[in-house]
Amino acid sequence: MVARKRGKDALWQARELSLAGLLGALGLLLPVGFHALGWGGKIFLPMHLPIVAAGFVLGPATAAGLGLVVPLLSLALTGMPPLPLAPLMSVELMVKAGVASLLYRVLRLPIWIALPVALVADWVVLALAVLLAAGFLNIKAGALAYVAAVIVAGLPGTALQLAAVPAAVAAIERRLPRLALKRGKQ
Amino acid sequence: MIGHFDLYMRRESALHRMDERAKIIALVGFVLAALIAPTRPVWPACTLFGLLGLGLVFGRVPPLLLARRTLLVALFVGLPLLVSRWGGEDARLAAEAFAVKSLLVAAAFMVLMTTTRTVDLLDATGRLPLLRGLSALAQFIVRGVNVLLGEVVRTYRAWALRAPRANLQLRVRGLAAASVSLVGRAAARSDRIGAAMVLRGFDGSLPQAPARSPAAAHLAIGVAFAMLSLAAAGIGRWT
Repeated sequence: MVARKRGKDALWQARELSLAGLLGALGLLLPVGFHALGWGGKIFLPMHLPIVAAGFVLGPATAAGLGLVVPLLSLALTGMPPLPLAPLMSVELMVKAGVASLLYRVLRLPIWIALPVALVADWVVLALAVLLAAGFLNIKAGALAYVAAVIVAGLPGTALQLAAVPAAVAAIERRLPRLALKRGKQ
Repeated sequence: MIGHFDLYMRRESALHRMDERAKIIALVGFVLAALIAPTRPVWPACTLFGLLGLGLVFGRVPPLLLARRTLLVALFVGLPLLVSRWGGEDARLAAEAFAVKSLLVAAAFMVLMTTTRTVDLLDATGRLPLLRGLSALAQFIVRGVNVLLGEVVRTYRAWALRAPRANLQLRVRGLAAASVSLVGRAAARSDRIGAAMVLRGFDGSLPQAPARSPAAAHLAIGVAFAMLSLAAAGIGRWT
C-alpha cells in the first residue's frame, strides 16, 4: 500500500516537473516570438503569461520556483530581460505564480479572484523590491516613479493576462483532467 | 537546439578551460564588489572595469560582441542618465551609480555566459545544496525548450508557407492560435514525459552525475579575482 502510494507520488511529481519544464520553456520562447514580431516585451509581458498559467496548474513551491528561475535562465540563454530587470522580474514572477497557486490550488478560490489578487501582489512586491534595491544601491531618486511607469506600461500585458490565462488554464485542465480532480480533492 | 539561444561562444582560451565553479566564485565576488563600489571617487569603478578587461583578454571575448550584448542594458540605463542631466545633483548621481553598476554586472555576466556552456553552469549550480531543486527545474526547462523549439519551427514554417505576407491582424490571430495550441500540446506531452520518467525509475529524487573536484589552481584564481574586486570596492567605500 505504502509502495503504491509512493509510486503515485513519484508519478505526480514527475508529471508536475515535466509540465513545469514545458511551461517554463514557453516562458522562454514566447518573449523571443514577441521580440521577433517587433512587439514590446515591456508592454505585453509575454513571459508572464505561461508562468502565471503555471501558477494555476502546479503546486505553490514548484510554481514559485518556476517564476524565480525563468527570468534568470532567459537572461543566461538570450540576454533578455536586461540585467537590472531580470532579478526584479524573478521576484515578481515568483510571488505572482506562488500566490496564484496558493489561492487557486490550496485555498480553492475561483480563478477570477485568484488572478487579480496575484496581479496586485505582483505590483506590491515589485514596489517593495525596487525600493529595497534602490536603498541598497544608495539611489535616492525616482524609485517609485519607476514602479508607476512599469505598471502603467504593462497595463496591456495585464489585460492580456486577465483574458488569456483563464482560457489557457481551462485548456490545460481539459487536456489533463487529473489537475481539476486533484484540486477538488485538496 | 538550445545552442541557437545559448550565448556561449566556442573558443580556445584560459577562461573557457577554467572550472565553472571557479568562474561562479569570481562572478559572485565581482557582482558584490560592483554593488558596493562607490562612483565617487571614480577609481574603484575604474579598477573594476580594468578587472573586467582582464576577463575579456583571458576569455578572448571580442569587445564588439560584448558591446552588442550589453547594448540593451546601455539603452536601459542610458535614458535615465540622459534625463538626469536636467534634474538635481541627487538624481544625476543616482542615475550615474545605476548606470555604472548595471553595466559592470551585465558585462561580467555576459563574459561568464560567453565562456561557459549553460548546461555546465546548471550542472555546477546543481551541486550546491540550496540551489539543487531550482537547478533541476532549470534543466527541465532547457529540455522543454528543445522539445518546444521543434514545434515552434514547424509552426513557423507552416505559417510562412500559408501566409507569407500576413497583415498585423492575421499575425495576431496566428500567434494566438499557435500559442494556445502549444500550451495544449505541452500539457499533453508533460503527462507522457512524466509517465516515461517513472517507468525509467524516477522515485522523486533526481539523479546526479558524480562530482569531479575542481582544480586547486582554478579555485585559487577564482577566489583571488573575487577578493581583488571586493578589496577595491571595499577600500573605495569605507576609506
